[in-house]
Amino acid sequence: MNETAPRSRPWIGWLLFGAAGVGVFLLGMLASSVNDRRAESVPARLQFMQPIADYEADNAKWGQSFPREYNSWESTKHLDENTKHGGSGDRDYLAENPNLVVMWAGYPFANDFKQARGHYHAVEDVTKTGRLNEKTPGTCWTCKSPDVPRLMAAKGVAEFYAAKFHDFDKEVVNPIGCADCHDNKTMALRISRPALKEAFQRMGKDIAKASHQEMRSLVCAQCHVEYYFKGKKEKYLTFPWDNGLNVENMEAYYEKSGHVDWTHAVSGAKMIKMQHPDYEVYSHGIHAYRGVSCADCHMPYKSEGGIKFTDHQIRSPLYSVQNSCQVCHRWGEDEIKNRVQAIQDKNKELLTRAEKAITAAHLEIGDAMKRGATDAQLEGVRKSISKAQMDWDYVAANNGMGFHAPQECARILGKAIDGAQETRIQVAMIRAQLGAPEPLTLPDVGTKEKAQAFIKPFVAAQKAAEKAKEEAEKARAATKPAKVVQR
Amino acid sequence: MWQKRLIAVSTGALVGLAGYVTSISNASSYLSDDPKACINCHIMAPQYATWQHSSHARAATCNDCHVPHDSTLRKYAYKAKDGSRHAFMFTFRMEPQVITATQDSKEVIQQNCIRCHSTVVSEVAFGVHRDDRACADCHREVPHGRIHSLSSTPNAAVPPLEPAFPKQQGDRP
Repeated sequence: MNETAPRSRPWIGWLLFGAAGVGVFLLGMLASSVNDRRAESVPARLQFMQPIADYEADNAKWGQSFPREYNSWESTKHLDENTKHGGSGDRDYLAENPNLVVMWAGYPFANDFKQARGHYHAVEDVTKTGRLNEKTPGTCWTCKSPDVPRLMAAKGVAEFYAAKFHDFDKEVVNPIGCADCHDNKTMALRISRPALKEAFQRMGKDIAKASHQEMRSLVCAQCHVEYYFKGKKEKYLTFPWDNGLNVENMEAYYEKSGHVDWTHAVSGAKMIKMQHPDYEVYSHGIHAYRGVSCADCHMPYKSEGGIKFTDHQIRSPLYSVQNSCQVCHRWGEDEIKNRVQAIQDKNKELLTRAEKAITAAHLEIGDAMKRGATDAQLEGVRKSISKAQMDWDYVAANNGMGFHAPQECARILGKAIDGAQETRIQVAMIRAQLGAPEPLTLPDVGTKEKAQAFIKPFVAAQKAAEKAKEEAEKARAATKPAKVVQR
Repeated sequence: MWQKRLIAVSTGALVGLAGYVTSISNASSYLSDDPKACINCHIMAPQYATWQHSSHARAATCNDCHVPHDSTLRKYAYKAKDGSRHAFMFTFRMEPQVITATQDSKEVIQQNCIRCHSTVVSEVAFGVHRDDRACADCHREVPHGRIHSLSSTPNAAVPPLEPAFPKQQGDRP
């Protein structure tokens, strides 16, 4: 019985054999993993797989030599990275905040204002926005594509701006990418757009003298800034930086230049739309003061397999708290996120207060007009509401929900709220003089649709008045041709 | 009989391969106090480089601060615990971009600050800061600097790994 026992259970032998086999296999896997990771300790050298041509706009061509940077850049197509107040996903800000429709009445922003998605979607997003029309100038392409520098070189910068947007539909195809910030031979950071260089010149600064660390913000400042189109026909892209970067400097600039973006359809105020003064707001914050660049937080360094590179998935640092924040700040990830969000929530609260007051002021001025207030009577309140909205917009249009410079944003929003309420007091007095001593019952503009329906007749009336004015001028010109020639 | 031989051979293969893994992973170095053992995994290179350029490099090794020294048993038990966690994280590529000390580790470090600096510490540490602050909460740059990241010292020259195959006499490094 004992002798036959092992023979009757041959599977024990096989089991041991199998276990040894599995053991050897796993150890082999571990050995190759160790060898892989040993190999990573040898510093890798980056090299061009093939030269990159001048004005090469196809990002994939650059990606052949720089796959890590390219792959991370390509990730800017992800749309699932919404944060509480921003992010890269689809987001309709007019639906979220219908007051904006009233505040921008008469300007294309009242038709459509969505979250700009990642760089990967830049061309698609600008083509699809509801703010385009047949009059849109070529200038609007400036920041959307690395095809632009080539077109500017071929046609001339001024000619590019003055052309029509749709002239370049077929030539601008690659979204914001490599050539916008990098030299094709050395990969050094470079300024590829003239507007920033020109703004520096007018401030008496030489951008060629900027350090590498400064360039890590300045390449972003080619686009993430407040700008306007100078000249009715020229539409020359210009940064209003001559007096400096803060909101008062810009207000002084616009006041002196006399530039107006549009006339408000409800209140008749001459308005300026701030774009996205990201660089300007950032430059007032503690991170800028300490020499931290845009890229340090939005494109943090990363190590993968022993190779250090810059993460080109430019996005909210709330998605990369480790690489972006904890490199310097020694708190836990949740603590940091909560801190950032607390700052943003407070900024949002101030923004909302300002929006309510500014919207009410426009509506009340509109009511005063209906009651027969004259332009002379309304000059002061139109000016002050325009200024309050410019203040608000400087903060609202900049990304980061106040985080880039919390105190500066709070100061400006304080001014905006103060200015709007001051305006409302003045309008209340004008309305009282016109026989309406009671407060205006504000119309229901609680949804995007209601708000758009409300401003529609105002916008139509404004357009009709403009058309009539144009035709009257044409008719006058036609009847007095001799005089025009003499002039 | 052939079955027993098969088992003997495969067990031998298992042992041999285990020996190979021990060798290429420099496993024996983990028993030592040599700081080079800590950069067997290249991700610790910034910690090595910053330590090497600090004043602590003249007096203290990694282990002087990062493992307990109150008993030999505790020292090796701690090494085994911390080491297996590191090996696991490294093998499965779970290392974070910014390495920070665990609560356990912070306590060990604090004890070691006091161990060497007891003379200085006896003058100051028994005041208001004694219980709720660690030395490193204020001495934040000691010794690894203020910037913490896997990529913080990309060009630092740290000692390279020895080749897995033993070097021949006369080989150039």
